[in-house]
Amino acid sequence: MGRLYIQNLAGEKIFKCKFCKVDSASHNDIISKDFRGRFGRAYLFRNVVNISLGPSEDRHLTSGLHTVNDIYCSSCQQIMGWRYEKAYEESEKYKEGLYILEKERMLKDGW
Amino acid sequence: MGGVEDETEPSRKRIRLSHEVLRDLANGLSIVGSNPDFSGDLMARSLPIKGDEEIVGSKGVIKRVEFVRIITQALYSLGYENSGARLQEESGVSLQSSVVNLLIQQVLNGKWNESLATLKSIGLLDESIIKSASFLILEQKYFELLDDDKVMDALKTLRMEITPLSINNARVREISWSILFPVKFVHVDSSNFSTTRAKSRAKLLAELQKLLPPHVMIPDRRLEHLVEQALILQRDTCMFHNSEDNVMSLYKDHQCGRDQIPSRTLQVLEAHNDEVWFLQFSHDGKCLASASNDRTTIIWEVDSHGDLSVKHKLSGHQKPVSSMSWSPDDSQILTCGVEENVRRWDASSGECLHVYEKAGYGFVSCAWFPDGKSMCLGVNDKSICMWDLEGKELQCWKGQRILKISDLQVMNDGKQIISTCRESSILLLDVEAKVERLIEEDQAITSFSLSRDNRFLLVNLLNQEIHLWNIEGEVKLVAKYKGHKRTCFLIRSCFGGLEEAFIASGSEDSQVYIWHRGSGELIQALPGHSGVVNCVAWNPANSHMLASASDDHTIRIWGLNDLKMKHKGPANHCNGVHYCNRKTDRGETWL
Repeated sequence: MGRLYIQNLAGEKIFKCKFCKVDSASHNDIISKDFRGRFGRAYLFRNVVNISLGPSEDRHLTSGLHTVNDIYCSSCQQIMGWRYEKAYEESEKYKEGLYILEKERMLKDGW
Repeated sequence: MGGVEDETEPSRKRIRLSHEVLRDLANGLSIVGSNPDFSGDLMARSLPIKGDEEIVGSKGVIKRVEFVRIITQALYSLGYENSGARLQEESGVSLQSSVVNLLIQQVLNGKWNESLATLKSIGLLDESIIKSASFLILEQKYFELLDDDKVMDALKTLRMEITPLSINNARVREISWSILFPVKFVHVDSSNFSTTRAKSRAKLLAELQKLLPPHVMIPDRRLEHLVEQALILQRDTCMFHNSEDNVMSLYKDHQCGRDQIPSRTLQVLEAHNDEVWFLQFSHDGKCLASASNDRTTIIWEVDSHGDLSVKHKLSGHQKPVSSMSWSPDDSQILTCGVEENVRRWDASSGECLHVYEKAGYGFVSCAWFPDGKSMCLGVNDKSICMWDLEGKELQCWKGQRILKISDLQVMNDGKQIISTCRESSILLLDVEAKVERLIEEDQAITSFSLSRDNRFLLVNLLNQEIHLWNIEGEVKLVAKYKGHKRTCFLIRSCFGGLEEAFIASGSEDSQVYIWHRGSGELIQALPGHSGVVNCVAWNPANSHMLASASDDHTIRIWGLNDLKMKHKGPANHCNGVHYCNRKTDRGETWL
């Protein structure tokens, strides 16, 4: 891969990739902590950095059918969670364009 | 000067006057450059006036009278005096009113008082124009009197004629020095002091012409000026204009074809063992330097056929080489390892001349100062410093918040340093005045490049846009370019082509993107590489040569599509693969 451009987040509480320690998301961008992923607890974020998107897939999640992209840390390519591309039920539409990061894949910096 | 604009009313009246004057005066009148034989041809004046329509041309914007007058002027300036006179006659439209002709004659003959009277009789509405014109004429009279050593007369002119006009008093004071200081004491250093002798009368006429409203005295070479304007406009809107030798013709609107833009791979350079991250041509375009993840920098030489071959491979860095900078005279190169040391190399011998280190820190960027005696370095402690070639620190700017991935440039005048800082800003630091300007974006800035004339900055953003900023005076966003792909890597773009009329960029979809700078249109997306294209460089000495560096370990040299098959002997350049057969080209994406 080419010369990676790594973004750095400002703020006190930052979530970083557990494996390579680049910034992933800021605590301020958490929308909800009430999600579950492959590895356990997961948080819904409005914005993430240093992430590569995988291809779109249709998946049946506990909340219904969604089109999602898995997201990977752009520095070490470890899977971090997924992004909601499209939701098929009205009550789930609010998640479109938002990101899920699995708690197990991250480390906390700043608290 | 409040030039009287486009008044068709007075000019029409004046034309009618000229009709009568033409018809009445049996003995030839003083038309500029009149031919003495003209009077014999007066039979022509009884011809009916052709084409009496007021407007010509399909768009309804050209006034016939004005059109004929500038054509007449062009005929005279080309030397075709007979034709000029004949046209005036045939069309019934006179180039200058006879009053203006008279004024011209009087000025050329030095009849100052008469010319002043004529000036007043032209019937100009604007008093200040009459005064300024009178001032010019009297000033000429004054200087000519001085030249003839008629000092008392000159003084009288100054007192009785010039001063009462009460305009431009500063100039009056200036010229009065000429009485005190004859020509011998010309002050060479004070540029405002034109203690010159009287200028030529033709020059005076030119200045008068600038002062008088254009419909009274048509500006010189008006038709040529209009035609040139049209040609330049055509050239500027030509999106593919990239060659000098396209001589513009008046017969056809100028439009270059796509074939002027490099769009074919001419060479694939394989000498690096890993991703190539950075490319830059030397200022004279004779060499190309490439920096790679394999920790080396390679200097390539461009031969007379436009083929590149390895000249030197510069090894020594322990970290990947992130950027480099050619010295102003192209004799040396600075290379910077990622948060490592900076090395200075001799470009012709390939020898490492110096290794620069800062204990406990690493460098992130490097740039030469235009005097070639010092360099500017970005340090990973967020500061910028200036070192001389021995390694001594001359200056340091702390607190600039320089990032670990940042670009650094020094302007050609050595006065301003440009660097990325604070993720979405670019700092323009004036070295002496200690003044800072900032370009602020709302997205992270990944890289930037400076135009050759130092007036513009091309900024690559996180969100896949490239922004063009004007950095003269107040920084101003001028244009945006989109189309390429960038999601996680550092992609670079550059200016290039004839007069840097194009923008090129790398992309994560392995293509090279080219836009027309003025219109923002995407002209080409060139496939060929099999990996992310990290950097592009356009040869400053050859507007048809573009180089691109990619993750596929290669550098591609792009050129024109219709390049004739050059004689390539058995591939004695083992490091350059030549595409000898045009048929191997895959179809390129024409956009």
